[in-house]
Amino acid sequence: MIARAHTFTADGPHVERVTVEVELRRGLPAFVVVGLADAAVREARERVRAAIRNCGFDFPSGRITANLAPADLPKAGPGLDLALACAVLAASGQAPRDRLGTYGLFGELGLSGEVRGCPGTLGAAQAALDTGLSALVVSRAHARDAALVEGLRIAPVRDLRRAVAVLSGGAPDSPLPGREPRRPSPPERAAVGRLDLCDVRGQHHGVQAIVLAAAGGHNLLLSGAPGTGKTMLAHRIVSILPPLSPREAVEVARIHGLTRDGAARLSLERPFRAPHHSATAAGLLGGARQGWVGEVVLANRGVLFLDELSEFSRPALEALRQPLEEGRLAIVRSRRSQVYPARFTLLAATNPCPCGFAGEHDRCACSEAQLRRHRLRLSGPLLDRIDMLVHLRRDGVGHRDAAPLTSSSRERARVLAARERQASRLARDGLALNCEMDARLTLRHARLDERGERMLERAHARGLLSARGQHRALRLARTIADLDGNPRVRSRDLGAALAMRPEGGLHGARVA
Amino acid sequence: MTTPTSRAPDSGACNACLRRGWLLAKLAGPLDYRCRDRERLLDALALSDDELICALGGSRRGELARTYAALAADQLHDGDATQRPQAICRHRARFPAGLRFASGPRSLWVTPDQARLDELARRPVVALLGSRRASDYGMEVGRALGRGLAAAGVAVAALAREGICAAALSGALQANGAVLCAVPCGVDVATPGVAASVRNRIGSRGCVLAEVPCGTPVRRWAQAASERMVVGLAQLTILVEAEDSRRELAPARLAQALQRPLGAVPGRVTSTLSTGTNALIDAGAKLVRGPHDALELLGLCAPLSAPCHHAGTALEPELRLVLEEVSAGRDTPDVLVRDDRPLSAVLHALSVLELRDLLVRADGGRYLRRA
Repeated sequence: MIARAHTFTADGPHVERVTVEVELRRGLPAFVVVGLADAAVREARERVRAAIRNCGFDFPSGRITANLAPADLPKAGPGLDLALACAVLAASGQAPRDRLGTYGLFGELGLSGEVRGCPGTLGAAQAALDTGLSALVVSRAHARDAALVEGLRIAPVRDLRRAVAVLSGGAPDSPLPGREPRRPSPPERAAVGRLDLCDVRGQHHGVQAIVLAAAGGHNLLLSGAPGTGKTMLAHRIVSILPPLSPREAVEVARIHGLTRDGAARLSLERPFRAPHHSATAAGLLGGARQGWVGEVVLANRGVLFLDELSEFSRPALEALRQPLEEGRLAIVRSRRSQVYPARFTLLAATNPCPCGFAGEHDRCACSEAQLRRHRLRLSGPLLDRIDMLVHLRRDGVGHRDAAPLTSSSRERARVLAARERQASRLARDGLALNCEMDARLTLRHARLDERGERMLERAHARGLLSARGQHRALRLARTIADLDGNPRVRSRDLGAALAMRPEGGLHGARVA
Repeated sequence: MTTPTSRAPDSGACNACLRRGWLLAKLAGPLDYRCRDRERLLDALALSDDELICALGGSRRGELARTYAALAADQLHDGDATQRPQAICRHRARFPAGLRFASGPRSLWVTPDQARLDELARRPVVALLGSRRASDYGMEVGRALGRGLAAAGVAVAALAREGICAAALSGALQANGAVLCAVPCGVDVATPGVAASVRNRIGSRGCVLAEVPCGTPVRRWAQAASERMVVGLAQLTILVEAEDSRRELAPARLAQALQRPLGAVPGRVTSTLSTGTNALIDAGAKLVRGPHDALELLGLCAPLSAPCHHAGTALEPELRLVLEEVSAGRDTPDVLVRDDRPLSAVLHALSVLELRDLLVRADGGRYLRRA
């Protein structure tokens, strides 16, 4: 006698549907699970056996074979327990079979039969909807996460007994209170919240760079002596970023739900990830194993802030090249290959030299060799992917009693307006931000006047800009124009963009 | 001591002088110790070979003296004469006259060839020296001096050393000028750090000089001693930026001892990195504000009344104002912003001035006026 149930397993950033087929035969008692199950799934046999007995059902005494299809997909995690138990009960005639074919089951079983939540519930709900299932039976704890997916009936259950009751047509339990997903916060509340640009005194240039990064998604490197406000400014980018669209919000919540401690929480606030500089390449990228999601993936649709950039290990920094260039991350680990979304804005901060005071009234005590070593840590392909380099200086810090230059609510409104302009201009090309424009689109949307053309040619002829650098300057100039509400890019916008170019690096005049 | 005798008429170095090179390589350790005091090092280098063995040989002096005396001629020469640079010693007429002082080198190894050195030595030569740990201001002035002097046909002499020397050589090479670069190792040995990239660009446009045989690795004493080669070759020595320390002012003392003209570039009075050059000017060194001052000291052109930046006078009023403010020390975008001059206008003006070669970006986002 064969019974089939549907459940889900995470496959990198995606969640795949798995069909659990259980066959009962007479013979010596055995419970065999086949179909590339990992340790957690193999251990499910003991949990399922105990849960079935403790919920008042009989555990079949024959030979039980459970097949997890598709057979070539590795199955991981304890989320398959509930489906396995229900399929065993259905195969032994203790549970109805008709609804098993249209319901998804996702949850871990305790020995008492209690249904517990596990990471990836939101992804499972999305997969259930996409694969045409009519309902999803989950734990009460994660029912609200799953409910974020519209168009799917969610049936929260307390234990295995209630799950069988739901399959028999009974009413589900109520979701657990206190797990209300974070409601989308209105933009005003975030701007008035903890961090606001009105806390910043002076640093006009730095503030403008942060606004540009938020408006056009441009990567920004802040350089400056200790105490000039690099980190303070960087953290305030959250307060001016536009909210996530509903589609982006679900994508972000699904990715965050894959982490070990992750419950999906729908928020319209963009992710802001700030890993410590001791992070390794594996820590930044993550792995192909379930639940091991790297910082660049968690920063998807948001900001990745690398403070003390020059202190990160070289392999960790070099690992950022592909996601910065392509907006995705392809991880290949031991016969497994996964592609994660990784479209983020890189915000980085560094000291200009090992002692931190290069350019500050000859306070710098570093030798030319030390400066060169410091430059080399950031040079090359990574700097090439930075759109803006802005130096924060001690004399740029305003007096603590000075009036703030701006506020987050004001800048957020400008950023929103600029993003709308970009989106309407780029909608035909399927893009949303200036930083995503390729060379062809850049030339089309950032046309310069004659004066601007002359400036750009001169910058190229003087070796200040590479070919890629020209496009980068044009994209930035386009964002500056968008922030000012100008339909055309003026030579003045280009001039401002050139002043923030990363070419020349941290020590412009020194590089012989 | 052996009488100087040439092995072959065109070989360029006598056996006695080649023996000296061998001896210096053997005594590298004691010489490294001595180079902490430049005067003591020069005193040692002025000694004859026997005296040098007695003074620095220590417990090895007997063995050294015996090996030295037994050195065969074929042990002194560098293999195939067509493959490796050959030495020229001070007993040859083509040896640079400026290096014939007591503590000067006995032999020189030159690349690409002796003829190129002869040609450069006929030109006016200016030594541009200064601190390794220079400010961005010093680097910019050093590069501008190198560029200006090279463009005027002057050969620029400097060490293969980071800081001011690398900047000066780099400037001269930018102007496609002639350079003389003294290295603290064999001419066929790579120098470390920034100097390597500059040295690689010299090619046939200049000469690389060493006083130790090919294959000798970089030694600390040779770094200090190569300063005297540069000062000796030059008709004018200019210190671009130096602290007021015996080590950094050693080239100035040597130039004064050799009675060569000495110039110094003034620095900011608040900067510790310029205390040495400011003190030299106070003590009578010639003021050097740019290439024109150096050329005037060489007697090569009519003196200019004052350094002036003609390019600035043809600018639009707004740009000129920004340029003047940067020259006055308001050199970052944040301090240039005013109520009537928003940040975007400041950034645009700075970019335009940079594109017109009037400003250059320096450390920490500052802008420097081109020297």
